[in-house]
Amino acid sequence: MTLTFKPKAPIWCAGCGHFGVHTALTHALKAAHVPAHEALIIAGIGCSGSIQNNLNAYGYHALHGRVLPTATGAALANPNLLVIGAGGDGDGYAIGGGHLLHSFKRNPSLVYIVMNNGVYGLTKGQNSPTAGAALTNGEAPLDAVQLGLSVSGSTFIARGFVGWWDQLATLIGEGIQHARAHCGFAFIEAISPCVTYNDTYPEWDGKLADISRDEAYDPTDRVQAMSRVMRLSEQGKLAVGKILHTTGSTLDQRHNVSAQRAPALQDVLPANNVSTYEAIARDHLV
Amino acid sequence: MNDGMMMASQPQIMESLCVAVAGQGGDGSLTLVTLIARALADYGYHIYESRNVASRIKGGHAAAFLRAGVDPVPAQGHDLDLLIAFDVEAIEILGPRVVENGVIIFDSSSEPCPMGGLKTGVEIIDVPFGRYAVRELRRDLYKNSLGYAVTCAILGLKGDLVQAKMREVYGRLPANVIAANLAAMETGFQIAGDFGYRGGRSRWQPRTLSPTPKHHMTGNEALAFGFLAAGGRFFAGYPITPATDIMEWLEKYLPDLGGVVIQAEDELASINMALGAAMTGTRTMTASSGPGIALMTEGISQAGSAELPVVIVNCQRAGPSTGMPTKPEQSDIGLMTQGANGDFPHVVLCPATPGECFEAGRLATDIAEIAQIPVFVALDQVVAQDRASFTLPHMGSLTINRGKRLAGPKGPGGPEYRRYQLTDDGISPWTIPGTPEGMSLVTGNERNEWGHVDTGPENRRRMMDKRARKLETISAMLPIAVNWGDASSDIGIIGVGMERGVMRDLTSLLARQNKSAAFHSPRTLWPVLPETLEFIAGKSRVFVIEHNREGQLFRLLGGALASRSHMTNITRYDGRAFSPEDLVRRLHEEGADL
Ligand SMILES: Cc1ncc(C[n+]2csc(CCOP(=O)(O)OP(=O)(O)O)c2C)c(N)n1
Ligand code: SF4
Repeated sequence: MTLTFKPKAPIWCAGCGHFGVHTALTHALKAAHVPAHEALIIAGIGCSGSIQNNLNAYGYHALHGRVLPTATGAALANPNLLVIGAGGDGDGYAIGGGHLLHSFKRNPSLVYIVMNNGVYGLTKGQNSPTAGAALTNGEAPLDAVQLGLSVSGSTFIARGFVGWWDQLATLIGEGIQHARAHCGFAFIEAISPCVTYNDTYPEWDGKLADISRDEAYDPTDRVQAMSRVMRLSEQGKLAVGKILHTTGSTLDQRHNVSAQRAPALQDVLPANNVSTYEAIARDHLV
Repeated sequence: MNDGMMMASQPQIMESLCVAVAGQGGDGSLTLVTLIARALADYGYHIYESRNVASRIKGGHAAAFLRAGVDPVPAQGHDLDLLIAFDVEAIEILGPRVVENGVIIFDSSSEPCPMGGLKTGVEIIDVPFGRYAVRELRRDLYKNSLGYAVTCAILGLKGDLVQAKMREVYGRLPANVIAANLAAMETGFQIAGDFGYRGGRSRWQPRTLSPTPKHHMTGNEALAFGFLAAGGRFFAGYPITPATDIMEWLEKYLPDLGGVVIQAEDELASINMALGAAMTGTRTMTASSGPGIALMTEGISQAGSAELPVVIVNCQRAGPSTGMPTKPEQSDIGLMTQGANGDFPHVVLCPATPGECFEAGRLATDIAEIAQIPVFVALDQVVAQDRASFTLPHMGSLTINRGKRLAGPKGPGGPEYRRYQLTDDGISPWTIPGTPEGMSLVTGNERNEWGHVDTGPENRRRMMDKRARKLETISAMLPIAVNWGDASSDIGIIGVGMERGVMRDLTSLLARQNKSAAFHSPRTLWPVLPETLEFIAGKSRVFVIEHNREGQLFRLLGGALASRSHMTNITRYDGRAFSPEDLVRRLHEEGADL
C-alpha cells in the first residue's frame, strides 16, 4: 500500500455550519460505497473551500467562483469519476453565478454542494448574495433554488440544513446517485451558518419548511415545485428537502461520452491512430 | 511578372501570380479564389490565400487574395497581377495595387470601370456579370463560374482541368446547378474570347511543375491538427475572431476520436473547464484572442501554480480592448509573457507558417504535460487565418511523450506518493484521479509535497524554486529560431509570426539589388532563448520588426538584457501587414545601410 496524503482535520471556527456539511458528505460517500479514488472533490475559495482537505478522496482546490466549469471539465473528460463540487455562496452565487445558470442548463453529471451562510466567511464578514434584507438595506436575497427551477434543463435541486444533518446526508446521497447514474446535475444547497460573522442558527427555527414531510409533494412536477417555493418565500420561509428530481438531456449524453468512452482514457498513441490521422490529412490536400 | 508584352505577343511564363477578388462582404463570389487556387495547385504551384473582411455580418468591402509561385510562398505580398472587381469600391481600394500591364476583370453591370489611379497599360476586361445572372440560380455561384472561366482563359489554364476543378469544388450541389454553372463557364469563355483570349491565346502560360501532394491549411487548422495528433482530446472555447476556426475545426474531428469540444459560457469557464479536464490526465487546449486571454489569465496562473498541463492559443488581433477584431497585431506579447498574477514557469511558442503551427500544436501539448505547465501558442491574425500549401509530416512518424505521468493501474508503487515531490528537475511524478494508490490534493495555494497548504518561508522557497527548475529541464525541447540571409552581415533583422513571410520577401527584394542582411525569426517567444541574445550581440545594428505600437518584442528582448543601444524598433499598428517595400523604406528612414 502506497502512502499518500492524509486528510486533515477541518480548520473551521468551533460551531461553523460547514462541519455539518462535512459530516453529511462523509456519511453520504460512505453510504453510497464510493471508492475513495473514484471521487474527485473540487472546492472553491472560502472557508467552505477547504473541505477537500478533510476528505478521503482526490481533491482539487479551484479558483474563486470556478468550481462549476472545473467540475464540468473533469466530469466530461472522465465520466468514471464521481465529481463533487463544493463551495460557498459567495463563490457560487456571486463571482461564479453565471456558471451556475449554465450548469442548470447544461445538466452535467456531477454533484454541486453550496454552503450557504449569507456571508463571506474567509474575507471576514461582507454580505453575500444570499444575505437577508435586514443586512442589505432592503436588497432582496438571491434564491438559487428558484433560479434552478426556472431553468428548464435542471434535473435535481435540493436544500438541506446542517441542523438537520441526517436529512442533508440523505439529500447528498440522492444527489450522488443522480450524478453517478449519469442523470445530470445534482444541486444541493446546504444552509450552513457562519457563527462568527452571521450567526443565523436561531433565525432558521420556524423559517425552514420541510416539504418532504408533505406526502402530496411531487418533486417531478416543476410547476408545483416553483409555486410551492415561491409561496413559501412570500411567507418569509425557505423550502427544504428534495425540491426537484426529474430527468432530462445530459451534457455527457450530448457529447457522447460515457464510462466506456471517456476522453481521459482514449488510446492517444499516434501509432494506434495513424489511419484516422491520415484520413484527416487527406481532407486537406489540394 | 508582367514585362509589358501585350496579348498579341507571346504569353508570359507564370513564375508567380498575385490575384485578388473583391466585392461586398458576404458575396460568395470570393470563393472564386479557391477555384483558381485549386487549378493552379494542380499544375504544381505553391499557393497562399488570405482574406480581408470587415467585421460585419454582410456587406462592406471584402477581398480574397491568392499568390501562387513555383517556390513556397512566404506571404501575401502587395502587388497584384490580376484583379477581379465586383464593384467600384474594389477598384478604388485595390486598383492602384495592380502592376503596370496587369489585368482587371470588372463587373460593368451598373457603371464603367473608373480609370483614375490605375498604372499604365492595365487592361480592363468588362464583364456585365449582372446581366448574365440567372434568377433561379445562386447568383454568387454563377458569378464565380463566369469569372472563373474568364480568368482561366487569361491565365492559359487547360479547359478540361478547369472544368474538373469546378466539379470538384461544387461537387455536392444538385446536378441542375452544376449544369447551369458549366453553361456559365461557357459564357465566360466566350466573353474572354471577345477580348481576344481564344484559340490558345492567353496572357500567361502556366508552367507544368511536378505536382507533389500538398496540404492546404490555415495556421489555426494546422495548429488544431497538431494538438489532435499529439493526443489532445479536450477543447473548451468561446467564440472570438480570429480564433473561432480552431474550435470549429476540432468540432469536426475530435468527437469521432472520443474527444470533447465544448463551447463554454465565457473564457473564464473555458480555461477552468480545460483545467478540470487536465486534472483527469486528458490532453487539453483552449484558444482565444486578446480580450478572452485577458479573462483567462487567472486560470493560467492557476495552471502554473497547481502544475496542470494546458495549451492556450492566442490568435492576436488588433487591440486594445475590442480593437479591430479582424485585423492582425502582435500586441499581447506582454500579456502572454508577463501578464498573469504571480510568477510561474511557462512557455510561449510563436510559429509563423502552417507547417510550424502543426508542429507547435504538437509540441506545446507535449511540453505542457512533460513540465506540467501552461504553454501558450502565440499566433497573429495573419498566421492564424492565411492559408498556405505545405506538406504535413508523415502521420506514422509522430510520437508523444507523456513525461512523468504514472500510468500503472494501481498506482505509483513504492512506499510513498507525494503529488508535489521535490525533484532535481523540478517535475513531480503524477497520477490521475481514479488511480487507487495515487491519491492527491491539487491546489493553486502554496503547499507542501503532500498538497497540504503550507505558507512557511522555507517551504515557499523550495516550492517556488522547484517550479522554476522545470523551465531549465525542458529548455532543450524549445524550438529554435529560423536564421537565413547573410550571417556575416553587420545588419540583423528580427521578427516573429506574420513578419517572417515579409522578411522572406524582403530578402528576395534585397537580393535583386545585390544587398543582404542577417535574418533571425524566433519560434520561442518565452523564455527568450540565448541564441537571440547572441544574434543581437553579434551585429552592429539590429532592427526589430513588429506589429504593435509600444515595441513589445523590442522591450522583451531589452528586458532579457539584449543591448538596446544598437537595436531599433520598426513598428506598425494600422491593422495592415508590412510589404517588403514598406520595410525597405522604413529601414532606410532609420539609417540602415541597405
Ligand atoms: C478572484 C478573487 N477575488 C476575491 C478573492 C477573495 N475571496 C476569498 S474567499 C471570498 C469569499 C468567500 O465567501 P464564500 O464563498 O461565501 O465562502 P465562505 O468563506 O463563506 O465559506 C473572497 C471574496 C479571491 N480569492 N479571488
Ligand atoms: S468564519 Fe464563519 S464560515 Fe468561516 S469558518 Fe468561521 S464560522 Fe465558518
